[in-house]
Amino acid sequence: MFIQTEAQPNLAKMKFLPGQSVLGEGTLELHDRAEAARSPLAAHLFEIQGVAGVQLGSDFIIVTKNGGEWPHLKPAILGTIMQHFMSGAPILTAPATAAQGDEGELAETIRNALRQVIDPELGYNIVDLGLVYGVAVTADGAATIAMTTTTRGCPATSYLQEGSGEAARAVAGVTDVEVVLTYDPPWQPGMMNDEAKQHFGIVDEGGW
Amino acid sequence: MPGVTLSRWTMSYFAAALAALLGAELLMAAGFGYPRAGLQDPDTLVLVHLAAIGWLSLLMCGALFQFVPVLVAKPLYSNTLPLPTLIALVGGLALLLAGFLRLGGHLTINVPFLPVAGGLLVIGFGLAIWNLGRTLWQARPLPLPARFVLVGLFGLAATVLLGLVFALVLGGTLSLAHFTEVTALGVPIHAVAGLGGWLTLCAMGVSYRLLAMFMLAPEPGTTRTRIALHCGTAALALAVLGGLAAICLDFSRNLALALAGVPALGALGFYGADIAHMYRARKRRRIELNSRMAILALASLAASVLLTLAAIGLGLPDSAVAASVFLVAFGWLSGLGLAKLYKIVAFLTWLECYGPVLGKAPTPRVQDLVTEDRARQWFWLYFAAMWCGTLALLFDAGLIFRVTAAAMALATIGIAAQLVRSRRLVNVKSEMRLPAGASRPRLLLCTSSRA
Repeated sequence: MFIQTEAQPNLAKMKFLPGQSVLGEGTLELHDRAEAARSPLAAHLFEIQGVAGVQLGSDFIIVTKNGGEWPHLKPAILGTIMQHFMSGAPILTAPATAAQGDEGELAETIRNALRQVIDPELGYNIVDLGLVYGVAVTADGAATIAMTTTTRGCPATSYLQEGSGEAARAVAGVTDVEVVLTYDPPWQPGMMNDEAKQHFGIVDEGGW
Repeated sequence: MPGVTLSRWTMSYFAAALAALLGAELLMAAGFGYPRAGLQDPDTLVLVHLAAIGWLSLLMCGALFQFVPVLVAKPLYSNTLPLPTLIALVGGLALLLAGFLRLGGHLTINVPFLPVAGGLLVIGFGLAIWNLGRTLWQARPLPLPARFVLVGLFGLAATVLLGLVFALVLGGTLSLAHFTEVTALGVPIHAVAGLGGWLTLCAMGVSYRLLAMFMLAPEPGTTRTRIALHCGTAALALAVLGGLAAICLDFSRNLALALAGVPALGALGFYGADIAHMYRARKRRRIELNSRMAILALASLAASVLLTLAAIGLGLPDSAVAASVFLVAFGWLSGLGLAKLYKIVAFLTWLECYGPVLGKAPTPRVQDLVTEDRARQWFWLYFAAMWCGTLALLFDAGLIFRVTAAAMALATIGIAAQLVRSRRLVNVKSEMRLPAGASRPRLLLCTSSRA
């Protein structure tokens, strides 16, 4: 699945187009976690630090932020939206919480398996480097991994893509794997986790 | 994208280039060519072309076949052409050197070496320009670093065409008045188009991307970078078109070259500011040997600018011109080339050997294929000897120059040995060296076609 993004005149807002129906008709504005309880997708989006509001539209989602920079927020938002649609959960109700929990556990196991895939140049695993934007698993074990590379055109791209697929495929319970490559947003060193930043001696939190 | 191809013949280009560098250094150590002979003596021309075509141009072609696809995120137009290109270039160079040796009286065979060499080199470089040009064409609009390479290819075309004219005139095939004038007066234009246009502009373009990749630094895309590109383009156009027009219309060639020097200074100044910003803004605080040694190459570029200005102020004596050209060729271009080669060989070897088993087995890092402590001494020897050699040329100390050239040859052998160790996986811990499914790379050939 490919999620397009569109900047908005209000710089605190960003539109996400998942390429499929969201509400179908009309729009729904959710301003806090309490209001988002009626939407599993919005509830997950509110779990991301910096998300202050969610608007669900016919085929789009507009996220409002109250802190942080879009390059740092977008990977988490994209991953959450993708995970939601891959799980098959509804937009406005949350009936399959037990199944959702199992799939979330499998996704976490896949993320751990992806830690054996290293970026050859940086010599560090792709998960902690922030190169894996999202892992989504359906109820029947089909996994979709959204990932990027440190630089567009990197000669290791295909190997990283195939290696991630191999690592995920080796996880028990995974029936199929699709690795989707994206450069939206482009990777920045600020996307590394704290451990990786410490390893490379990166002290600031900014992008470049 | 996404699968950028691993260029099959890149290692062969690098090996041929290193052999030519070593050959040039050994000839200098033996006292062949300048300063024992004159700047335009056939013996000096042997030395200059062995370094410029054999070493620098083969290195640049091999690197561009691999990294232009990285710059534009598109595959190389043809993976078949690099082999005939290499054969034509090596064959053309061998005949060119034979032609100069014949001019110098070292060979007495009556064979038209120069015209045939000119033809072969036009074919070889023409194939390279066609292949790289088509790759760039299919990737429009081009990112800024790739535009430097594009202008560099125009510099190559100008250099090769001028070289062909020289070869035909000196070989006795061409005797039209304008061409003989161009042959008599056009050597500085040929040198500026080659060292400044082809090699320096391409090195600038590739260095923008490689330094950003290897240091986690922001990629350039600023107005400053654009001005550097426009200045570089203007300088090349002024030097080649202005210089040739001046020769044909009987104006001052040196004035045209001096005018070209103004935007050239601007290009180098803005490029220097860009690179300094990248080093300062890099996220990777502990940089690797290749990025540290690149600083010495960049310092050599800055020193060569000062030396050239001083040479102009002194009225362009041969010793200052020779020292300046030597510093550009062996300090800036060769220094950067050797530094990046040290990283690129390990990187490509990693892709070839460990890429196919990524995700299936634990793999070493690229950095595990090298031992920087061992290589550092050879790089320092190379730069120290090269800087001493520049001073020796400047002060006409022929014997000292030969000693420094011998030291450069020793350092080159030391660096080449490190490259072979990377290629042979000698530095990788034995338990990680060859995981199941990985195969040991061949020394001169990339056996994997995907990356």
